[in-house]
Amino acid sequence: MYRILVINPGSTSTKAALYSDSHPVWTDSISYSSECLAGFPGILAQFDMRWNDLLKLLDRKQTAVSGLDAVVARGGPFKPLQGGVYRVSGACLDDVKNGRVQADHISNIGVILADALAGESGVPAYFVDPVSVDEMSDMARLTGLPEIRRISLAHALNIRAVGRKAAALLDTAMEDLDLVIAHLGGGISVCAMKQGRMLDVTNANEEAPFSPERAGTLPSGQLVRMCFSGKYSQAGIMRKLTREGGLVAHLGTSDLRLIVKKIEAGDGHAQAVLQAMAFQIGKTIASMAAMLCRLPDAVVLTGGGVHCGPLVSGIRKHVDFMGPVLLFPGENEMEALALGALAVLRGEEKEREYPA
Amino acid sequence: MRKEAGPFLILVINPGSTSTKIALYRDLEPVFDETVRHSAQDLSRFARIADQLEFRFAMIQEALERYRDSYRKIHAVVGRGGLLAPVEGGVYEVTDAMLQDLREARYGQHASNLGGILAQRWAEHLKVKAYIVDPVVVDEMEPVARISGMPEMERISIFHALNQKSVARQAAEDLGKSYADLNLIVVHLGGGISVGVHKKGRVVDVNNALNGEGPFSPERSGGLPAGQLVDLCYSGRFTHSQMLRKLTGAGGLVAYLGTQDMLEVRRRISSGDAHAAQVVDAMAYQIAKEIGACSTVLEGRVDAVVITGGLAQDEQLVGDLKGRIAWIAPVLVYAGEREMLALAQGCLAVLTGREPAGKYQASLGH
Repeated sequence: MYRILVINPGSTSTKAALYSDSHPVWTDSISYSSECLAGFPGILAQFDMRWNDLLKLLDRKQTAVSGLDAVVARGGPFKPLQGGVYRVSGACLDDVKNGRVQADHISNIGVILADALAGESGVPAYFVDPVSVDEMSDMARLTGLPEIRRISLAHALNIRAVGRKAAALLDTAMEDLDLVIAHLGGGISVCAMKQGRMLDVTNANEEAPFSPERAGTLPSGQLVRMCFSGKYSQAGIMRKLTREGGLVAHLGTSDLRLIVKKIEAGDGHAQAVLQAMAFQIGKTIASMAAMLCRLPDAVVLTGGGVHCGPLVSGIRKHVDFMGPVLLFPGENEMEALALGALAVLRGEEKEREYPA
Repeated sequence: MRKEAGPFLILVINPGSTSTKIALYRDLEPVFDETVRHSAQDLSRFARIADQLEFRFAMIQEALERYRDSYRKIHAVVGRGGLLAPVEGGVYEVTDAMLQDLREARYGQHASNLGGILAQRWAEHLKVKAYIVDPVVVDEMEPVARISGMPEMERISIFHALNQKSVARQAAEDLGKSYADLNLIVVHLGGGISVGVHKKGRVVDVNNALNGEGPFSPERSGGLPAGQLVDLCYSGRFTHSQMLRKLTGAGGLVAYLGTQDMLEVRRRISSGDAHAAQVVDAMAYQIAKEIGACSTVLEGRVDAVVITGGLAQDEQLVGDLKGRIAWIAPVLVYAGEREMLALAQGCLAVLTGREPAGKYQASLGH
């Protein structure tokens, strides 16, 4: 049994958990008010406070670092990286402490906390599948205009976690599988994972399919006309695309349970819109098979949307012919982080070295 | 429906932006098939496309004069369909409502708008009927395919209906089946690219090839990440019409390589131009993704993928596509386009009574 401590700093809290193999022993969260956080000049400045509070938490839980087999943190928006489980190294810490990251986000201090904890004890510190994972094939990055490139921005942590789960279910190494994985959240990403690598993934913010909150890809001519119509500000249109698009725009809500209730009460329009979303998701899933050049070994659906029966059956109507459809509802970041570390500890996956 | 005995002589008129294609068909065999080119100088005299009527009429008259010994009587005239209100696929009589929409360019300016107008002009002259066939605005989309992520923006069906349907029918015939009994994905690879889902004879989903959907092409930029497109529009770097040009005319291969000529692009690749190779690979990949997506519209029940259009002559491109989507269905290739034949076929179907001609109603309010 491996004992793994998971650390996940978020904007208003630090989540921590102790796992024994894949089972949570305890989970807890240290909350911070906005007044408290407002006092800090920057993200890195929060380190001492968060570090001390974390130590106090571990003390309360009577979890000694020396009894651990690994400490694992959520990775931040680091420079673009291949997916995988990374040892927290001097090069990584150096980049984070000197701002050589893609964005200033609280998750960046996860690796600093993990390193400080693991420090003298000799326990390895890891981070897993940060949001900056980018394994996109160069060919997939090009659009029809040189000014616009496709950007790999996806729920890499959950996508790769379910990739590992699918591999376990299919009793095959992830590196020997071709999968299409769709993460159905407020935004939706669909990914072609060939032999463990995310060679193409749709950008949840600005590409098809539409989602509970996002408009997805739109006919370019009509969108351009809208931009130049004089009726909207740039911020206004972006809002229509990313926060008030998709189901929110059509039905006034992104809550799938509410929408299903409407459908059950006979709302034909709600039914049509939900099925249109399932239709677009299905199309995007199949398009990814063009990267695999074959039918996938499995289609994997994950994220909160998988709790919605009518959505899942709407999607399956279109993709069942492609092969086995595996469902992993919801997402669990803490578990995903623990499972990543566990895979390395068990020798199922090789740890990666952060490139200098 | 007229049920004269054949063979039928059909005058076919297909106006393009810088040329007029004219043919005379005896049933499905061409008596002659010519392309009359028009200089920019000649065309610049006319403010609107519709004003070119008499000029192009005279060109057709001159061609017919030269072949006057090859025929006795012309039975019907058929023109390329223009931009009209959405219609189901089929053959349509040229009506006053249609002529009005074409003359006023109510649904947009396009050289093909002259098709119906010229056909009617000739029909009056010859005292016969005029028709159009499968205009680009054929719309047989299923309701689920019309819904986009923005309620005020419905998806629109504009594609190479004439060639797509003609080639689909040919493929059906070659498979020993009827078009209405098959599920096909038809890929038209031309200056613009359309990938259409033909479900038992109806194109229930297709990317808008004219207005920025689907794969990029030799001169079009196709579907683009929405947020970045919006940023580009508001960047102040380009005017509205410059942005529209980037979508159609100056996008795709033209934007990256300065040319839409695939032969030229292949020459560059053979000489070691890695950038050109990468761009062509990306285009092929986007086309393959669109074909893949279409497989789900048919829930995997696809009888064949049919590849057509000028670019289908590019063996490497076709090979690349096959490698990516052969898992869907057998792939059939009909390179090139056959618009003149397709127009004659449609007209003949009406003349022989096999198919009724539809009557175009102008759409109410817009």
